[in-house]
Order: sequence, then structure tokens, then C-alpha cells
Amino acid sequence: MQTSTKFAIAAAIAAGLSSHSAMAQQTVTLMAYSGLFQERYTKAVVEPFMKANPGIKIEYFPMPNSAQMLGNLRAQKAAPQADVAIMDVSVSKAATDEKLLVKIDEKTSPNVADLFSAARIADVDGVAVTFDNLVMLYNSDVVKEAPTSWMDLADKKYAGKVAIPGMPDIQGLSLVLILEKARGGYNHIRSVDKGIAAMGEIAPNVQTWEPKPEVYPVIISGQAVIGAGWNARAQVNADSSNGKLKAVLPQEGSVFQINTINHVAGGPGKEATAKFIDYALSPEAQKAFTESMFYAPTNAKALISEAAIARTAVKSMDKVIPVDWIALAKVREPIMDQWRRKVIPLSR
Amino acid sequence: MSAAAAIAAPAPVSDTRRSGLALVVLLIAPIALVNALGFLVPVLNLARMSFYEVEPTGAMREVYTLATWLTVFQDTFYAELILNSITVSLGITLLTLVCSYPIALYLHRSSGTWRTILLVLVISPLLTSAVVRTYGWIAILSDSGLVNNALSAIGIAPLRLMFNKTGVVIGLTEILMPYMILALLAGFGRLDPRIEEAASTLGAPPFTIFRRIILPLTLPGIALGCLLCFVLAVSSFITPKLLGGGRVFLLATEIYDQAIVTLNWPLAATLSILVLVIFGGALVLYTRALRAIM
Repeated sequence: MQTSTKFAIAAAIAAGLSSHSAMAQQTVTLMAYSGLFQERYTKAVVEPFMKANPGIKIEYFPMPNSAQMLGNLRAQKAAPQADVAIMDVSVSKAATDEKLLVKIDEKTSPNVADLFSAARIADVDGVAVTFDNLVMLYNSDVVKEAPTSWMDLADKKYAGKVAIPGMPDIQGLSLVLILEKARGGYNHIRSVDKGIAAMGEIAPNVQTWEPKPEVYPVIISGQAVIGAGWNARAQVNADSSNGKLKAVLPQEGSVFQINTINHVAGGPGKEATAKFIDYALSPEAQKAFTESMFYAPTNAKALISEAAIARTAVKSMDKVIPVDWIALAKVREPIMDQWRRKVIPLSR
Repeated sequence: MSAAAAIAAPAPVSDTRRSGLALVVLLIAPIALVNALGFLVPVLNLARMSFYEVEPTGAMREVYTLATWLTVFQDTFYAELILNSITVSLGITLLTLVCSYPIALYLHRSSGTWRTILLVLVISPLLTSAVVRTYGWIAILSDSGLVNNALSAIGIAPLRLMFNKTGVVIGLTEILMPYMILALLAGFGRLDPRIEEAASTLGAPPFTIFRRIILPLTLPGIALGCLLCFVLAVSSFITPKLLGGGRVFLLATEIYDQAIVTLNWPLAATLSILVLVIFGGALVLYTRALRAIM
């Protein structure tokens, strides 16, 4: 309610401002993550787009998470205020099923043709705009030797010093999937027993399953010294902490988290919306954002600097375990149940 | 004035009453309207949503089903969750009462500038948000925090004071104390120092005075404070989120997770309705207790 009111006010102000300009300026409202993402995405993608298209104004409407974006889309189904939403693929699937989105394909956006195959997800109207992956984080002041295995989290010397965003957060779920594979599991849709058992070995060491506000500052401050988090944010935090926070891709590998870009059905932006989405998927926008925040690009033609690409999972694709998030959503409840009963009690 | 009119002329009594009633209705109407629009309609919406069908992906369909309610009643996790929420909240309420009662009693007896200063001190924590105060507790309770540093200085092994139930209880107790103290003070109206003096003159020892006079006279305040703190404890989720470390499962945190992370809005709605039912139960207990006391 509150956010939708704020949204309405923001939209009203935006409409008021744009009506003042002499030209018939079009406004596209982009709903995406707040904080670091907003800051970097505005600089790397939104501002260059507006410079190239003076007739289009992009209004960035920040939201703390994908679920709240879906909440807004649901609340405004009758009269949508947003045009574009960048959100997690599983939320995009829910929005697709509720007919809140318009399908993005080569016809609406030519750049879709150049996307990696993993960026086009069956039965989802949006397409991937960023890939991120789970990494192991550590405080280099305390942990002198870089860890190499996820199971280092179970090392007794880190008792009470491990921070992992646990389930229902998908970071906890991702770790279960990685460990399931490492322990010889072959189909995490059917069973994650081995992954849960491995998590159970890590659990006694865990200080918190809810590092707040995020896992990165918790490890930088030394409250915890080792843990798991997303690569892109870890890379930015590694820079801002002058290398105190370090991120590694352990030998067991990782999984991708997918952010999709979505065209909201019935939004006010019309053709300007499609234009912006196509730009967001273009090699130049993908290059700029990867070099700014180290999300792996989804456009195969994006020519990214060596320095930036080395800090994504692009060079270690063989280590990335494929996950069908849509199929996984169907078994998330039973996995959550195992998490509550077989992992959490071991961490008390 | 109405009494005088009634004595002078018995006939218009019913008229006066009727106009009095009309005035009451008129005065209540605005708040009733605000409550209907701002509370009743959303709650009814929530109740309706709890019967919606939800797909594993989180997609919601406006098709009615009992599935969510059945899950909540059949899965023992939710029974544990409700029981855990109630017991933890009761524990917090009791602890808050024990910590607040002496302060409230002292405040009730103090007077003048001193009382004003103390009252401001009691209320001042309410001027800071619960989030900030919870972060304050993290600084105090963490492994290298104030308490554990002091303990290690005198050679005691550090204690696990947060990211568990202990942390949640400590944090919420402190956060709820101002509410409890204010509620207690509001309910201390019948406590008259002259009665205590009379008892003392008649030879009652201090503990007897407390047990036979002070405690019974302050029961209305205790009941009010406990109701308020219990309701606030059950519905608080920021402090359990920050201090619970993902180990403390409470109704409020589960509602947040279901609504924001798992996207199961019907389940979140069902659990919210259950919280309302618990509040209803607490209110019934409160009115019964009040009737027994008065």
C-alpha cells in the first residue's frame, strides 16, 4: 500500500515534470533494485540511454526486492504505472503466469537474437539481463589463506564465524544445490538429501543465517569472517573495503542467479519502453554494466574488458552448475522443510 | 444540565436521551468510518486472499481453495510456529513486566521536576526507531561486544547472547519496556499512598503491604500492560529478524518470509489471520481478567 502510494506520487511528479517540457517527451518508468544496483545501473545504462535519446526520460523507481516489484505490478494491474521491471527470474515467472507482462523476443527487441541461450527462459516473458553467481566470501585480515572448497565453511576454526543468508533466501538454496552436486547427487529436482547432509556439517559453525543488512558488511566488520554471497556485490564491496573482503569461486563450483528484464503489460511508456529494453540488452549497455558492477553479461556479443570479465564467472563456465529455477520452484517447499528440520536444529 | 432538565420536566427525558445517543453516534461515526476503510476492508481482503490458489512459482489465481488453510492445520511446523510465537511472547511480556513494575511504582510515587525528568527518560527510547535500538543491542551482545568483552576480562568464557532466542528476548524486552511502564502508570490510578500508610500504621510489614494492597490495586495496570506488550511482541518482526539469526521461527517473521521471499501471499494472509485470532484470544482474556479484578 505504502509503496504503491509513493509510486503514485513519484509517477505523478514525473508526469508533472515532463508535461512542462516543450517537446512531447516520453517517460519510461523502470522498476529495479534500490541501493548499489540503482547507483551503478543509472550511471552505466540509464544515463547513456537518455543522452542518446533526448526525447525519452527514464524514471528509476527503486524497490528493495523482486517480491515487492511483483506486489506493485499486482496492485496496478488495472492501470500500470511501471513500464520495465528488472527482477529475479522466478518472480518473472509468477508475473508471466499472472499475465502481467508482454513477451520480449527478437521481434520486439532485435538484441534478443544475440543473447546466450541460458538468457532465454522457456515460459517466461522476460529475458535475462544479468547473471550473478554464488561466491565464498572471507575477511582477508583474519583468513590469511584463501579457502578453496565450500566445505572449508565446516572447518572447526571458523566455529561461530560463518555468515550465510539461509533459506528461504536463494543463496542458502543455491549452496544446497552446489553441495548436492559435489557429494555425487545427479538430480537436485528429485532429491537434495546429500546437499542437506553437507549443509548439516556446516550448520554448527554458522553464526547467523540472516546477516543484516547484507552479508558483505558483516564479514568486512569482522563480526563473521567467512560466508557466502553474490559475486557482483562482493566484487564492489571488495573494492570499497580496499581488499579486506575477498571473494573466491570454490572448486565445487557455483550456480547462476538470473535477473530478467520485463516489459510490463499496458504500461504508459509504449514504444519508448521497447526501445529502452533493447538498449539494456545491447552489447554496449551489457559491457558498461558488467565493467561497473561485475554481473556477467547475457549478450554474447558484449566485448568486455579482460579485467572485468576475470571478476565474473564467465571464464569458469565449466564450474557453473545448471539450475532450472522454474522447475526448482515446484520442489522448493519440500527443500525448505528439510532445511528447517535437518539444518537449522544443527546450528543451535 | 440534562439532569436538571430531567427533574424539572419528566416528559422530555427520552428526548434528551435520544439526542444524547444521536450525539454519541455522530461522534463515533468518523473513527468508525476511518477504521472500516483503513482496517476492516484490508483485513477482509486479507481473509479473501488466504483462500486464493497459489502456484509453486508464486503466481496467484483468484480461484478459491481451502488448500492453504489445510496445509497450515496439517503441517506440524505451523503448530510449532504458533506455539513458539505465543510462548516466546508470553515470556517476553512477563520479563518486561518484572523489569518495568518497580520503575513504574517508583515513578508513580515520585513528584515534581524529578518525576518529569524520569518520565522523559522512560519515553525517550520511543523517539528512536526499533531498528536503531536493535543494532545497538547487536553491538552490546555480539561475540566481541560489550558484555562478552567484560566477561572475558574477568575470565569467563563468552556467551552466545544473540542470533538465538536469548537475543530476541533481551532485545524485545528492552524495546517494549516503555510501553509497559506507561500502561502500568495509566492503570495505577487507584493506588493511594494513604492506604499503604494506614496498613503500615496497623502494623503490616512491607511485603504484606505489597501483597495485600499494592499488588491488587495495580492489577488493572498489569493487565493492560501485559495485553499491550503481548500484542506488540507477537507482531514485531524487525527485532527477531535482526537478533534471531534465522534460528528463531515466529509467526511475524514467517509472514514476512512468505510474503517477501517465497511469494506465497495466500499463506502469508492465512498466518496473518491466525495472528488476529490470537489477538482476539488475548483481548478476551484481558476483559475477563479485568472483570475479575474490578
